[in-house]
Amino acid sequence: MKYIDPKNFRLKDHIDWKAQAENMKEIAGIVGELVKETDWKDVAAAAGKDAKGLKKRITHEVNLLKNMSPEEVKDLVLNGEKQLGKLYANGKMATVRREWRGIKDTGVDFYEWTRMWGMLLATFSKDLVPALMGATHYRWMISYFCCHSFMDKNTMGLRGRALKMHHELIYAIFRYVAENLVLLMKADEKVGNSTDLSKKIVLFDEMTMSQIMAGFPDLIGIPYQLMPVFLLSEIDQLACMPYIDAIESYGLPSDTCPVPSSECGAVVVDALPHMGACFISSSMPCDGSVMASSYTSRRFKDLPTYHLAFPVRYEDESIMDAAVKDIKGCIKFIEDNTGAKWNWDAYFAAMKRFNEETKYELQKWEINQTPYPQLIGPCYELFRKWNYEMDGGLDPRIISTFKKVDKLMLKAYENKDEAWRGKMKYRAIVWSIPAHYYANFSNWAANCWGVDILVEMESLNFTKPLETEDKEEALKDLSRLYERMVMRRHTNGGYDHVVTELWRQCEAWNVDFVLMYQHVSCKNMATVQGLFEDQARERGIKLLWCSHDLMDPRTVSRKDMRSEFNEFMRTVMKAEPVDPSLLDFEDDTTW
Amino acid sequence: MQDLKHLIKFENLLDDAANDLVKEAQAEGQYAIGYTCYHMPEVLLNVDNCFSTRMRAPRTGSIDISTYYMSNYTCEFARALLERGIEGGYEYLDGVAGVDACSAMNRCYEHLEVLECNKKPHFFVTHTDVPYKVEDYNVDQVATQMRLRLLDVMHEKLGIDVSDEAIRKAVEEHNELCRVVTEIGNFRKLENPPITGYEFHVISLVSYCCPTAKILPLLKETLEEIKTRKPDPKPWFRARVAIVGSEVDDLDLTRLLEEAGAMVVADRYCYGSFPGREEIRLNDDEDIVKQIARHYMMTSECPRYMAEEKIKQRRDTADRLAKEYGADGIIFEQMKYCDFWAFERPLASHILTEEYGWPTLSIDRSYNVHNSGQLRTRFQAFVEALEIKRIRRNAQEQEVVG
Ligand code: SF4
Ligand code: SF4
Repeated sequence: MKYIDPKNFRLKDHIDWKAQAENMKEIAGIVGELVKETDWKDVAAAAGKDAKGLKKRITHEVNLLKNMSPEEVKDLVLNGEKQLGKLYANGKMATVRREWRGIKDTGVDFYEWTRMWGMLLATFSKDLVPALMGATHYRWMISYFCCHSFMDKNTMGLRGRALKMHHELIYAIFRYVAENLVLLMKADEKVGNSTDLSKKIVLFDEMTMSQIMAGFPDLIGIPYQLMPVFLLSEIDQLACMPYIDAIESYGLPSDTCPVPSSECGAVVVDALPHMGACFISSSMPCDGSVMASSYTSRRFKDLPTYHLAFPVRYEDESIMDAAVKDIKGCIKFIEDNTGAKWNWDAYFAAMKRFNEETKYELQKWEINQTPYPQLIGPCYELFRKWNYEMDGGLDPRIISTFKKVDKLMLKAYENKDEAWRGKMKYRAIVWSIPAHYYANFSNWAANCWGVDILVEMESLNFTKPLETEDKEEALKDLSRLYERMVMRRHTNGGYDHVVTELWRQCEAWNVDFVLMYQHVSCKNMATVQGLFEDQARERGIKLLWCSHDLMDPRTVSRKDMRSEFNEFMRTVMKAEPVDPSLLDFEDDTTW
Repeated sequence: MQDLKHLIKFENLLDDAANDLVKEAQAEGQYAIGYTCYHMPEVLLNVDNCFSTRMRAPRTGSIDISTYYMSNYTCEFARALLERGIEGGYEYLDGVAGVDACSAMNRCYEHLEVLECNKKPHFFVTHTDVPYKVEDYNVDQVATQMRLRLLDVMHEKLGIDVSDEAIRKAVEEHNELCRVVTEIGNFRKLENPPITGYEFHVISLVSYCCPTAKILPLLKETLEEIKTRKPDPKPWFRARVAIVGSEVDDLDLTRLLEEAGAMVVADRYCYGSFPGREEIRLNDDEDIVKQIARHYMMTSECPRYMAEEKIKQRRDTADRLAKEYGADGIIFEQMKYCDFWAFERPLASHILTEEYGWPTLSIDRSYNVHNSGQLRTRFQAFVEALEIKRIRRNAQEQEVVG
């Protein structure tokens, strides 16, 4: 059967046209007011300034070209540009133009660009009307229009096989995004209102992985706040600010993590679509997330809710019984609320796939631990999170992405390719939680300083193959997996999981330093910062502390993050930048 | 009102974690087990030759070293305890019975271990898992944890008798303490109570921080004294309030409120008497540890419990206590940088106001409020608002009667 079952997209919508007309009227009113209140002189002046800027930039680039030696021109034509900082302009949302990667790679890039457009158009046309109307109901939908820019910034500086691998990955990420968006808008009461589809949907807390849905092949599990909040914040750095502001003015202190606070803010500003047969709220990954579910369940009182809550001291097998019973309770809850029956065959089939995907993941690690790491950078990180861990083997198409990437990666390794051609100098791993609003930070680090971010803490969660024969054992494995999920494996169950584990990983990956993200409001990580310092000093391991506030760039901007990084590279590593044009530029408003 | 005979002694006992009664008990060969959270059944720490002492960091000053370890965005209570631990303030303990309920406190316990804040060879820190719901299997889970991670450890490290008989004996003594404290607390229901909120706060705290056997006789005596104590003819306070929220072991908070004219009639906060001073009723059929686990889980008011029924229970309890104790309003408080209460406070205080009809003051506060001018002003304003409300209500009632 095709994944996602095409029938789901064909289920009947029950659009309330009168309500849509009302909504459009309201929007027309807002647009009218905007038009009225706009100072058109200012707009004209800004356009003039832009035109001047454009002229200046073109002249500058032509002059650069003129001053180049024939070898340099040849290199530019064949291998692409080297000063990527030129692509940014102060106050702009997008880069000034796309990157020139040399003839061949620009061709590859353009092909992938069109392929992505093709996929997006094909996916949205599966039920275009609700998807389009969704953009008039939900501000966050608009942010997804910048997905191509997201693709560009995550593949910046890449050439050859590395570029191809990253495009494969990002294609899969956006297919996941697009399909979920179409389903969300189709089922949402305010938009498509497809009751038949809604009955098949089980909503999950955004951080809860989908593996449990593998036993319900006829149902669709959607991580509820993923599209309006979590993933969105990786695409558009400004997207979560309205949520955070809303919940803080409701009374939530500003020291809480932006993940749960944005979720609650989205509830307050009514940014979450409403649909589904039931809701699985979860205690994962941390204290703040536990609390966010009380806001969601209050907002959607008509949605039956199950709290899937695994033990925190997960190494303690004596509590396994409670974890398994909780999963069983969850399965029964889904059965009761949807009428579907748990299907072991479907579950085992998906988990076999997941196990195979895990093997491919491990192969990536193996290669990255060698002196010739291949697959590094944000696409790998994002794909792993969404298409591997969150999808959890449900989507059979992911295996073919894994296969294609694996083939390219092995070839690249044989040829001793450099992930960022001619740029790689230092080996590092990321520890702690990365900034969502700077999802492409590792790309910048590679392009600017030649730093290979070989792996992130969040990639190193759980690699034990899941049981695919014995049913009781399978439930235990599923519990183990959930207990060690995204942001949970390291931050919960004792400091050993995060502090001691880092020293183990430093050895395995043979690093020059550790990029220690300091997510200022993550209490789980903040509470071990002194131990990190003490023990790193004892072991002679260099830590590059880089603060951020996960989804709120107002606390620490991208520029501030870069400054901390630059400072460390200059003073501690005594390094020279590979691309000085990237040392300092403005991107406070860039997607 | 005349001063309570033991009040100064009680206050002195609260000046130090290792107070005189703790030292006395230890000199007699008993073991002191420190704990913080209500998730840890206090009664299990009072088995055989052990006694429980709820950890505090009275007179906390700078918390710089613990801030270095745990950053400045984390719970001040957890940091204050760690600071005290690093200063050597918990060297007297023989063990710490920890629960992994919130990350801040869990890390605090871990630091006590890693930084070797206690050098006694038998010293231990346990970490027990706490569930998020109260299903039958969760009760089993807690009972198993208590046996494996607490009682077995106490037996192994300190040679404690953890038999059912020993546990039953501890429950009996605990229940007696609960009866006495509850009876004293009940006086707060009276229109003109013979005890102040501050005095009760002191009494409640000593009952947690001192060995039960040592403090019980003094509390009994105090109860008898209060029974015949004559309150001033006219109540001294201008409004009656219930406090709801996170951990409070700072007498200054109650003092500040009283100075603003508010009598604290109900203490629904961690380290207060709700929950904590309810008797444990045992039957003869079920495993005793399981019964105890269930008691604590059912009575817990901690926002760590995320299940719907527990969320409702918390709001209902606040409403019930405020009614039973004749409060005019509710103060919903939160320890600064505590994630659980940070999320609970805005929503619950909104609901208590909008749906339960309670005038509510919502605040966040430091572990030690000292003489916070900001809090004082907010308390005064709240008391005034409650007073005006009462005057209006009385006037309306008189109109109706007239
Ligand atoms: S970043 Fe930290 S505080 Fe935020 S959701 Fe993740 S674990 Fe929780
Ligand atoms: S006040 Fe909050 S953060 Fe602090 S120990 Fe209690 S529950 Fe934990």
